Amino acid sequence: MKKANKVLAMLLAAAMAVSLAACGGNNGSDSTQPSQSAPEQSTVQEETTAAAQDEVSEAPTVENKVILGSTTDLSGDFRYPGWGGSSAGSSDIDINNLTQGYATQESNQGGAYVWNETVVKDHSETENEDGTYTISITLNEGLTFSDGSPITAQNYLATTLSFASPVAVGAGLPGTYGQSLVGYDEFHAYTGPDSEEGTKVFSGIRMLDDYNFQVTVSSDYYPYYFAFTYGSFSCYPMGLFTGEGVTIQDDGEGCYLSDNFYEKNGEDYVVSAQIEANRYDLTKYPFSGPYVVSEWDEGTKQATLTLNPEYKGNFEGQKPSVETIVYVKIVEETQLDQLKSGAVDVLSGITGGELTKAALEVVDDTNFKEVHYQRAGYGKIQFDCDFGPTMFPEVRQAITYLLDRTAFCQAFTGGYGVVVDGPYSPDFDMWQAVQDDIELIDYSYSPANAVKVLEDGGWIYNSKGEPFVAGAEGVDSVRYKKLTEEEANALDIYGNDAGNKNYASVANTDGIEYKTVEINGEYYMPLAINWFGSQPNTVTDLLSTTLANSSDLAEAGMVIRSTTGDFTTLTGNIYRDASMGYLGTPTYGMYNLATGWNSAVYDYAYNWMSDVTYADYSVNKLVDPYDKDFAYDMSAEKLSYEDALAASDGKLGMNYLSFGMVYNAKTEEEYNQWWEAYIERWNQLMPDIPLYSNYYYDVYNANIENFETSPFFGPANAILYANVVGY
Amino acid sequence: MGKYVLKRLGYMLVVMAILSLLMFLVYTMIPYDRAVTEAENFKTAYKGNPNAAMLYEEKLTQLRRELGTDQNILVRYLGWLGLGKINGRYNGILQGNFGYSYTYDRPVIDVLKTPMVNTIFINIFATILGLGITIPLGIFCAVKRGSKRDTMIQIGTIIGYSIPSFIIAIIFIWLFAIILKWFPVSGMKTPGSNYTGWAEFKDRMYYMLLPLIVMTFSSLGGMTRYVRASMTEALSLDCIRTARAKGLRERVVVYSHAFRNALIPIITLVIGWFLGIFSGSVVLENIFGLNGVGRLYINALNDKDFEVVLLLQMFYVAIGLIGNLVIDIAYGFADPRVRVNK
Repeated sequence: MKKANKVLAMLLAAAMAVSLAACGGNNGSDSTQPSQSAPEQSTVQEETTAAAQDEVSEAPTVENKVILGSTTDLSGDFRYPGWGGSSAGSSDIDINNLTQGYATQESNQGGAYVWNETVVKDHSETENEDGTYTISITLNEGLTFSDGSPITAQNYLATTLSFASPVAVGAGLPGTYGQSLVGYDEFHAYTGPDSEEGTKVFSGIRMLDDYNFQVTVSSDYYPYYFAFTYGSFSCYPMGLFTGEGVTIQDDGEGCYLSDNFYEKNGEDYVVSAQIEANRYDLTKYPFSGPYVVSEWDEGTKQATLTLNPEYKGNFEGQKPSVETIVYVKIVEETQLDQLKSGAVDVLSGITGGELTKAALEVVDDTNFKEVHYQRAGYGKIQFDCDFGPTMFPEVRQAITYLLDRTAFCQAFTGGYGVVVDGPYSPDFDMWQAVQDDIELIDYSYSPANAVKVLEDGGWIYNSKGEPFVAGAEGVDSVRYKKLTEEEANALDIYGNDAGNKNYASVANTDGIEYKTVEINGEYYMPLAINWFGSQPNTVTDLLSTTLANSSDLAEAGMVIRSTTGDFTTLTGNIYRDASMGYLGTPTYGMYNLATGWNSAVYDYAYNWMSDVTYADYSVNKLVDPYDKDFAYDMSAEKLSYEDALAASDGKLGMNYLSFGMVYNAKTEEEYNQWWEAYIERWNQLMPDIPLYSNYYYDVYNANIENFETSPFFGPANAILYANVVGY
Repeated sequence: MGKYVLKRLGYMLVVMAILSLLMFLVYTMIPYDRAVTEAENFKTAYKGNPNAAMLYEEKLTQLRRELGTDQNILVRYLGWLGLGKINGRYNGILQGNFGYSYTYDRPVIDVLKTPMVNTIFINIFATILGLGITIPLGIFCAVKRGSKRDTMIQIGTIIGYSIPSFIIAIIFIWLFAIILKWFPVSGMKTPGSNYTGWAEFKDRMYYMLLPLIVMTFSSLGGMTRYVRASMTEALSLDCIRTARAKGLRERVVVYSHAFRNALIPIITLVIGWFLGIFSGSVVLENIFGLNGVGRLYINALNDKDFEVVLLLQMFYVAIGLIGNLVIDIAYGFADPRVRVNK
């Protein structure tokens, strides 16, 4: 035992000595420059700098390197982040943007898709007699991947063919790529040489030669205002998403993949597994973007990108100057200290009052600069518009009047944000085109206006069916509305406990339950709104104090009952999904969350439909009464805005407008006309209340020049135009 | 002894089975269906398709069948273990399928590997450093009980013990990283470096040092006081008085006689510390931006990535049970009065 003790003591001492030696070794030399304190690197840098100064006195003293910091973890899913789904990490998307290039269309600084002239030599669009639409693309010759291998039409068609096939479904993808193209259904149904269904050939895709290809859009998807985006194709190395040895051929009827693509191992496609594995590939296949991933360290969540010498530029022919980009994980609480210490060069997307103030204190234009832009999106209150008090636009308008949104925005953003009155970004081209003409209701804080719209909307009773008296106690402290038969029967499809006849307030912490009452066979609904807010969430807290518990609300004869929970339960209630915390009866009429746009392709068709086939896309569950009287018919003649307005007696509904905007408009002017009317109608119905549209600040090292970001052009895009001082 | 160990292993299996069922039940009863989340991407993709609703329903049904969320809890539990079929096949833990992380879109084992290595790496040093300081310090305090130095150390340890580790972390970051600039604020390696071998180790240690110091400092108070108390009690034993009366040197009395007696209560904690190297610190890993198990664990909980959480918890259950067995066996070695063969 004595021996064992000694051995233990020896081991402890040895371990301590090792750790102290290892830890202490750095202290002396690293004390002043922690970011460059790594062993060997600092020595090399000092020597290099000294030598360079001897030879050329103007030589830059900083490395041609930029360290981008992000609070979001990198995951290594850089080739096709999140499989194109909503769960893709923003950092992974950034790396993808930096390493994946040469798409036939790219998003410009304003978020609009434009043809990439570095890639596309020529393109033409033709409306065919059968109602289809053909886009022909000629590629520039001489484009190559990072390994020097040539880029041809096959590299653009491979992904579409693969991702439209059942093989891609086996790899976890929806298999809906190219669903708007002629021949998709037949191609998607084909399962291999033994297939009894479908066809091997995708007739809507033609590979004419190595540099020419064309696609034909089905008449089901055309005309469409953004139809040119059907010509957007990404460039991937062959093999990455088709498996090794697979080829694309075209015998004149359309493209098809070689039979080995459909090879099976039991029930599963062999290539499906390869595709899934290749998704995380960083070495086997080359890159087409401005940078290549030269190192990915999963342990430290750090990626190092170096210039792709073969890259010829983006849609503007812009080639990057920064030689190395390092993408690192940072901690929000200490990110500014990391910036000041030189551990990172760029902090992006700083928002919120406190954080922004702290960031701007760092900015001095000598050492650190900033660029900011208004977010393309907003935080909002969202309403369920198919039951309860919030199904009435007057109630939604009254809530908007009762909330001092200017003060709310000031409190939440610290002054670094603005209030918008509809679903738009001031950076949208269409907003800038119509902003002087558009007529929006001014929802400035006004309890008097709130009362007026409520009274106009019929909220004039108490629980006994008598006139409402302000200041009454108990259940009569809120207004009631006499419901029509149709209104009273709303949501009866959910069973006896659901619907407006049984509507009642929940979370009644004061012991008062407000519920629909029946008087002489007529139903009166209380102005009691059930609100679900997520926690932890500052917006929820602020709404609770500025709206739900405000005296104005009580004086107007309204009550808001607050329930809080996690975000999954919130979305579960919005989508009425029992598997996500929804208890089976529509309960909440109001939620708080946020929304945004990542491009200027503004298409809200299918979002306001009453057709159950598409009901899931209508998050507000709003059916505009105007649409009942004058419904949109996809198969009918496409009316101009003026004709539609006249035909509807000046009452175009949300659904009609959202479809007309993208399926009837042919020119930008027409599109803007529809868009303006859509925003105006939205502003009347207020399915959401925009609360704040905050500013995002990107703070960066002053050694970086020409760094200009926008809502649609983040650091990963802007870095292409930037340079380090002296380079 | 061997029989005893086998018996304990048998008990452990039973406990594991019961706990795994309980934990599985807890996570399964949370109203959440992974199939719905997965199907959401398909819903977006089907938008505009005339058969959108039908396609979505088909996909949702298929996903529920594949993930087993259309089955009752018992079937799902057996499927998770690999004792029952999910979607027509056995594919559970017993078949080597430890689950799938839907956040990272990878098998859970792949997701856990790197953070676990990082956590073990830092914890090994923190544990060794912590024990290397606290045990001698506790012995010193016990031997010098009541002295000024003992009092000072007691005050220091009670302060250290009372302050939460995240406060210590913030203070240390402010002092050592921001004011003195001795260490980086956060991170795990020099951005853009691709060191190998010794240079890589040194770089890693440079970044790990501040979290290491914080972890060590945070743990000093409790252990030092524990060792001191245990040693104080041991020093008051009759056998110690006898040893001193025999004329043994104080060093022998303290280290050979008193410390041996003090070791029994300490051994539980020491082994516990070593077993704790697998556990990440949620707070410290977040503050220092370390890619460790603690951060992964809390992120998985927030993201409802329950298969990651379940596997981690099962792992900790296994470690805990094995730890108890090791502690019991170690008692036998430390104290002959304790027999471990029954």
